Amino acid sequence: MTPGEDTLQTLPASLMTAVEALGSTFGERLVERTEFRGELTLSVDPAAWLDILTFCRDDGSTAFDQLDSLLGDHLPERAEAPFAVVAHLLSHTYGHRLRVKTALAEGQALPSVTGLWPSAGFDEREAWEMFGVVFAGHPDLRRLLTTDDFEGFPLRKDFPLKGTVGGRVRTDLRGKI
Amino acid sequence: MSDHGAHGAVDAAGQGDHGAHGAVDATPPVTGRPTQEELAERKARTRVPPERSGDIMTISMGPQHPSMHGVYRAVLDLDGEVIVAVRPEIGNLHRGLEKLCEERTYHQIIPLTDRLDYISGFAMNHGFCEAAETLMQVEVPPRAQYIRTIASELCRVSNHIMWLGVHIMDLGTQTFFVICFRDREYVLDLFEMLTGARLTHSFARIGGVAKDLPDGFEHRCRKVIDFLPKRVAEYERIVKHNRIYYKRAKGVGIFTADDCYAWRVTGPPLRSAGVARDLRKDEPYAAYGEVDFEVAVEYNADVYDRFLVRMKEIRESCKIIRQCLDQMPDGDFLARDAAHTLPRKRDVLRESGAMIQDFNQVFRGPQVPKGEVYRSIEVPKGEMGVYIRSEGGPRPARVRFSTPSFYHGQAVPPLVEGETIADMVAIFASIDVVLGDCDR
Repeated sequence: MTPGEDTLQTLPASLMTAVEALGSTFGERLVERTEFRGELTLSVDPAAWLDILTFCRDDGSTAFDQLDSLLGDHLPERAEAPFAVVAHLLSHTYGHRLRVKTALAEGQALPSVTGLWPSAGFDEREAWEMFGVVFAGHPDLRRLLTTDDFEGFPLRKDFPLKGTVGGRVRTDLRGKI
Repeated sequence: MSDHGAHGAVDAAGQGDHGAHGAVDATPPVTGRPTQEELAERKARTRVPPERSGDIMTISMGPQHPSMHGVYRAVLDLDGEVIVAVRPEIGNLHRGLEKLCEERTYHQIIPLTDRLDYISGFAMNHGFCEAAETLMQVEVPPRAQYIRTIASELCRVSNHIMWLGVHIMDLGTQTFFVICFRDREYVLDLFEMLTGARLTHSFARIGGVAKDLPDGFEHRCRKVIDFLPKRVAEYERIVKHNRIYYKRAKGVGIFTADDCYAWRVTGPPLRSAGVARDLRKDEPYAAYGEVDFEVAVEYNADVYDRFLVRMKEIRESCKIIRQCLDQMPDGDFLARDAAHTLPRKRDVLRESGAMIQDFNQVFRGPQVPKGEVYRSIEVPKGEMGVYIRSEGGPRPARVRFSTPSFYHGQAVPPLVEGETIADMVAIFASIDVVLGDCDR
């Protein structure tokens, strides 16, 4: 990945304008800006997550009206902030795309963006059940793909691929689910 | 059912046309092109029931309900026949594909992607390969791009035909289901000839496709695509003007463009809301930039228009396939890139270089740079995004398939709340959810 201003020239002009608007509004809360394979990634401060995404949706120069994908990630080599949440935004007005990501420590909560794009509901539930990233303000943060009594976070790198972890049948939940 | 008084409404342009003749003749109601505001207003009118008893009954629809298209479970709160609230429950088919991807090389992931949307397996292979090729910067030869385009469009045809059969069966006709499956069989036979498999094709490779077009494929394919548009006309004769279907589908499940953006509903449901959004046109990949086709758009955003959009798409797909066969370039069907692609199988036991390449790719895997990519392609059900993060080496560190059914399954509550339980069957079928795609 090659950070820097000169590599950004290959990106669409509308996206450049959007990024300039974001840069002038949020300044150093945009931690890093990288371009790789024609895609732009903004790494942001988790405290500014909701503000930046709100700006991305509502500002006329950015106009990201669709959240194409929101996912969690685990990078155990980053000891102080091993988790990541990555959002892919898409603008139907301009046709440009942007990736916004943030790094999180174990147990650190991130504000939910379901108020901005309701499609984030399932994505955030999945990121929570797979990685243990808590989304504050999510209306219904339950397990989505695994069973309700599953234990552990299966997409973390330390979760084994084989074995019987989380396979216990909990009879005490019978009739309550 | 819903309020049918709304559907005879003629828009301003339609009125003007009639006015020019001086008198309004007794033609069928003009469908017109409602604006988004009119659609929102129509939606609000059809969704609010006249009166409610306040006596709520909760029932569980699925995971083994015949109209639920797989193991989708919807917990419905009903007031009489009207749906007050829905809680979708998915995950009964979760197989941990993304975790499995992290343990496999890029070549080994391709057969897993078939199992996402098993109705249109090749389109899923294609999406993953597009993302992996962007990451590895592999140049795909033109012949491979054309073969991929043909296979992707055959997927779309077979998916839409099967969708139609199942959708109409949900609304109570058994015979039509058999007609559709008969016609889908011709497409599956083509796939069998091309890839060796009928459903789980695993046909795309990093840098191309697994095999060249077999002898006689072009002739058979031309026969099928000449014949399918006639079948589509037959479907339309049976379904489009069918009074029962019209009453069940027209004006039901209205979902405006803004709703679609908010809930990330893409593909035919979005195009039925008057948005000409198609990644094949907007962000061309494979050979779509070199063929001429139209984006199928309808304007009423209801179940009926989703049917019309899909029928148009079958016709356009046949057009694309015909152009691809006409313009098919010569050359390689797989890129010659020793660092990232498999060699051609024929060469492996004949040339030492190919043998070394095969050994390297199978035992070591492709050598991929560090980085992350997200590529989105238009699969039959909507837009599928594939996110790959690589830390170098032959295996991805994280793969995420943002599949259309996942988001369409999530959008069921805003689609059906306020409609009746009989309409839910039609609406759920119209957004085309496949649970393999949804649960991953």
